[in-house]
Amino acid sequence: MSMSAWIVVGDQREVGNLVTVARSLGGPVGAVVAGPRSVADTVAGAGLDKVVWCSAPDDVPAEASAPAVADAVAADPPRVVLAGRNPGERVLLGAVAARLKTAVLTGARSVAFDGDDVVVVNAVFGDIAEETVAVTGPVALLLDGGSVPSADGASTPIEEISAPPLGLKVIETRTHGFDEADLSAAHRVIGVGRGLKAREDLALIEELASAADAEIACSRPVAEGLNWMGKDRYIGSSGARISPRLYFAIGISGQLQHMVGVTGAEVIVAINADPNAAIFKQTDYGLVGDLYQLVPAITAALK
Amino acid sequence: MRIVVAYKWTCDPEEATVRADGTVDWSRAKPGLSAYDPVAIEVARQFADEAGAELIGMTVGGKGVAAPLASKAALGRGLDRVVIVEDVSLADAGRSDLAAVLAEVIRHIGDVDLVVTGDSSVDVAAKMVPTVLAGELGWPAVAEVTSITGQAGALRVERAIPGGVQLLEISGPAVLAASADAAAPRVPGMKDLLAAGKKPVELLELAALKVPPRNAVMTVTGRAVPERKPRKGQLIDTADPAKAAAELVSALRQAGTL
Repeated sequence: MSMSAWIVVGDQREVGNLVTVARSLGGPVGAVVAGPRSVADTVAGAGLDKVVWCSAPDDVPAEASAPAVADAVAADPPRVVLAGRNPGERVLLGAVAARLKTAVLTGARSVAFDGDDVVVVNAVFGDIAEETVAVTGPVALLLDGGSVPSADGASTPIEEISAPPLGLKVIETRTHGFDEADLSAAHRVIGVGRGLKAREDLALIEELASAADAEIACSRPVAEGLNWMGKDRYIGSSGARISPRLYFAIGISGQLQHMVGVTGAEVIVAINADPNAAIFKQTDYGLVGDLYQLVPAITAALK
Repeated sequence: MRIVVAYKWTCDPEEATVRADGTVDWSRAKPGLSAYDPVAIEVARQFADEAGAELIGMTVGGKGVAAPLASKAALGRGLDRVVIVEDVSLADAGRSDLAAVLAEVIRHIGDVDLVVTGDSSVDVAAKMVPTVLAGELGWPAVAEVTSITGQAGALRVERAIPGGVQLLEISGPAVLAASADAAAPRVPGMKDLLAAGKKPVELLELAALKVPPRNAVMTVTGRAVPERKPRKGQLIDTADPAKAAAELVSALRQAGTL
């Protein structure tokens, strides 16, 4: 069976959207998994035509199996290779792209076969523009993950391969104590920017989040410069992209880099002290003023 | 030991505008060292000093990447020398093409033990060039790297993972993408920039690198301005915060988002 699409997977089991896109193209779809066996088991429940698992010792991270993944895909070269937007998956996709000398596109909004071409509508330059690209030859694509619907039938049998991994070993793993976030599943998200003056003031935001039943997220500097939250909570072109029903942007100026992460939000509310902040051009409801007065007022109004 | 930092000289899309036909107007954007590359140079410089290694910068791209202004901006941040491929055909090159050229530059430099890159480029932000480069070289790639210690053949690398950090040992050459906050980059002073002007700059011809051709040919057949959800743009009077809050909550309840 010749594969028309391969999905490459590291230790992130969220491949639901990748399966949907690969299936929409028609033709057989396979997956190569380089992460733990449990990930391969999840992927095998997604109704694929073939699942290959690269086994490796427990202290070897998925990235170390990149050459084995590239070999498995190259043995049955597809027209498209898909991977989720995670660091490990990017490494596996990069190894496949190098082996097959494919094109690499990272902003795909739609993919279709057109004769011998693969046609991709691709967002470019942080989503400010969109290109339709016709590719003659294989294409490697990064896509959003999405959870795998629970299996309704038999799992795909898993073919185990074992190849010598690259010289990469985990010595130690430490948790940082921040709660892990699942922003993609949240109906309401509150994003905090540098308009918040001190870390203690997050208490105000937490009260609002609890009253609105919302997850808390942030702009990049809040997670990376100030380190007030885990990196999985920052929204933007290189962070999370979310489509909640409601997004509250609090003390966020509205830079492109951040806003591309929330273009899918149904309703956007912004609170900012600067009436000229770019965010007010991109919101449904804007409140110009002091967040230290407005946030508690909204919390009270919600109760 | 020999360490190479891959950097990019490019424009920030924040300064670009998109015309109605979907083409991007960069005329008002000023090129510079890509936002996270100073962090990569700083991380690599600190490790090179500790390991007694040579630190070489490399960049490939279209017109302007070999301009003295560009090479000095990179050299002034602590590189010992730079190797540059400037070719008009690289201005619109894809991730895979750029990575293939970078791989040939690494082979040309020779005896490279480690490649360090920034978290992502300011213009494309694909985070794919380091991984394809590693694939081309047959080396491991690791992203979100927060610190590098050890020596050639026995690197100790810390990386951020969801929920924490992980310490890795790498036994051969590798491509490491530094996290955006891995180090506070130095701001080059006048002395650094003057010294940068005297450091070696090696220019390579793209044709001489004999980069293997890609198996895929990309043709842009259409451009568009992405469709955005129309926003109401309604400002709520905040003179009385309690009244403003009540008005907002009522509007959100009506919209069914609360």
